[in-house]
Amino acid sequence: MEFLVSYFINCFNFSSPRWAVFSRSLVAIFGGYALATSCSLFISQLLLNSVGKYQAIHIGLLFSFLVYACAAMWVFSVLNATKAWIDIIKANVFFAVATWLLMQFTGANS
Amino acid sequence: MKDNFRQSMKWFHTWVGLIVGWVLFFMFLTGSLGYFYQEITRWMEPERPFIEHNVSNEKLLDTAQIFLSKHAKSVDEFSIYLPNVRDQNLRVAWREPAEPGKKRGRRQSHIVDINTGDKVESRATGGGRLLYRMHYRLHYLSTKVSYWIVGFCSMLMLLAVITGVVIHKKIFTDFFTFRAKKGLLGWLDIHNVLSVIALPFHFMITYSGLLFFLFTYMALSTNLQISDDEYSELRKEIFPRTAQIESKNQAADMLDISTLYQQAKRTWKTDELLSVKVYAANDNNAQVRFVRHETDITYNPEDQVLVNAITGEIIPQIAKKYTVSGMIHNGFFSLHEGQFAGPIARWIYFFTGLIGTAMIASGLILWTTKRKPKQMKKPNGPDFGYRLVEQLNIGTIVGLPIAIATYFYANRLLPVDMAERSAWEANVMFISWAVLLIYPIFRPANKAWREQLQLAALAYMALPLVNILTTDKHLINSLIKQDWGLAAFDMTFLVIGCCFAFSAYKYKALQVNKKVRKPAIRHGSRQVTKQKNKQNEKDERENEGLLNLQQANKGNS
Repeated sequence: MEFLVSYFINCFNFSSPRWAVFSRSLVAIFGGYALATSCSLFISQLLLNSVGKYQAIHIGLLFSFLVYACAAMWVFSVLNATKAWIDIIKANVFFAVATWLLMQFTGANS
Repeated sequence: MKDNFRQSMKWFHTWVGLIVGWVLFFMFLTGSLGYFYQEITRWMEPERPFIEHNVSNEKLLDTAQIFLSKHAKSVDEFSIYLPNVRDQNLRVAWREPAEPGKKRGRRQSHIVDINTGDKVESRATGGGRLLYRMHYRLHYLSTKVSYWIVGFCSMLMLLAVITGVVIHKKIFTDFFTFRAKKGLLGWLDIHNVLSVIALPFHFMITYSGLLFFLFTYMALSTNLQISDDEYSELRKEIFPRTAQIESKNQAADMLDISTLYQQAKRTWKTDELLSVKVYAANDNNAQVRFVRHETDITYNPEDQVLVNAITGEIIPQIAKKYTVSGMIHNGFFSLHEGQFAGPIARWIYFFTGLIGTAMIASGLILWTTKRKPKQMKKPNGPDFGYRLVEQLNIGTIVGLPIAIATYFYANRLLPVDMAERSAWEANVMFISWAVLLIYPIFRPANKAWREQLQLAALAYMALPLVNILTTDKHLINSLIKQDWGLAAFDMTFLVIGCCFAFSAYKYKALQVNKKVRKPAIRHGSRQVTKQKNKQNEKDERENEGLLNLQQANKGNS
């Protein structure tokens, strides 16, 4: 998967620093948003049985902006744009899988 | 990005702050004014009467009730707002029956003259409400587009706040450092002090600002998890409402509100009263709620008394139940809006908001100050980007306050019977802002700064004067009537004007200083030059030490 991503990114000439910043901005905005969402799903599954469905969702959402901010900071601190893409996609996949696993465990039907 | 984390964050902080800095400045300034939106509206409706001292609550309630029985006979739910610290007039409000196809009817709100009991007809104006709504709803754009723009800017603000903390290892030491008259370093220190002094406020206001539209921004997450029906249940759990009081459709005679008020007075043992709300008026189920303080999340059931309007008995109330996360959410709302704040807390809110505004301004100025020496050496003059930032700085940091002053001028000077009057007040504001943004293009930066500062001083100092010439609600009269709300407003204009005049004077003095100093160095003896050089070197070293955190980090790690 990492190979595919780096191939895709190499198609565009991202060697110019401007492109790199643009590329990073895209990861920060969209990848960060996706991460904030997947993380909120994870948190709400984690808390589902202890505080009830609605509050669990709400707590997940309350954290989303902080997750978003951290993701953006992460994107702009790693060595290069390719790594930023890969890291954010990895984190997204991690939270998606973890949420799915938790759903099997909690027996949530949504 | 850069060699190490802190260095990358420094770069990130710079650019995150810059790209939407001017929008953030606009949001912070109009938002700070929002803490006084009722006071602003009152000033902008000069037809309203002056404060009346020593009128009993009973008389006020009677006046309001007579007014309502004349003008809102068939309405079954209405509110009475008594004169208070923020708004010294008696006000009544109700909602008209909904027109077919609409969810809710139009809200009517009228000022009642306490002496005559008549409706006060004021000029059409957007008032403070329009001004403060701009800080989250912008203007001219559709609601949805504005919310997303504001959300994007707030997110960048949140990032700027967090990265700002991260890049400052010595946040405590920096707070006590101020190197005045050192150009770049001076601005850096100002920026640091303004940021640190109100750091909790900056974080709270930005984060809570985002929370206001949490369910709009993060709609993807809720959509993935729950259906629309469940979503409205979720909202009810987070924002609990008191049960709706329905009318039974059996006409009944209500007791007078002033009679019912005695119950509340006996419970509270004081004669404080902020507002009264009547539910299901003239019905068998009629109830009246007396409120003595704005409560918000600091919800104190003792601040409200609910009375059966037919029998006059007190109805025990069930406190709203919040979930923990709901409490946090609503708590942030209360902190953001500061509705509970008394006069002193309100001024603190206002000043902290201004500190935030100044923090953004100093950050923007810092960006140009840092790049100035390099840009000035370029053979073709400064880059386009540099010029653009400089012009936007002048046009916004000084231009926007002037534009807000023209909003007040428009209120006093536009013809009272003008069509679309309240829309034109805002148009005037944005047109003058546009002019002030364009003006610096044609002037050298130094002169543009100075001239706009002078203009700002003039604009604010002349406002009370225009007020004297156009209305009878001016400073002298309001002082005589001891109407401190109105008087404070005019005096604030004067103080702001003086602040601008002072900065214009200071700015000029600094410019003159620079001009005088340069020849002195050239013609001075060699020794002096040497000393100066040493001093300069030392300055530069300090400069590097602070600005290149990278080096500092290497030393530390």
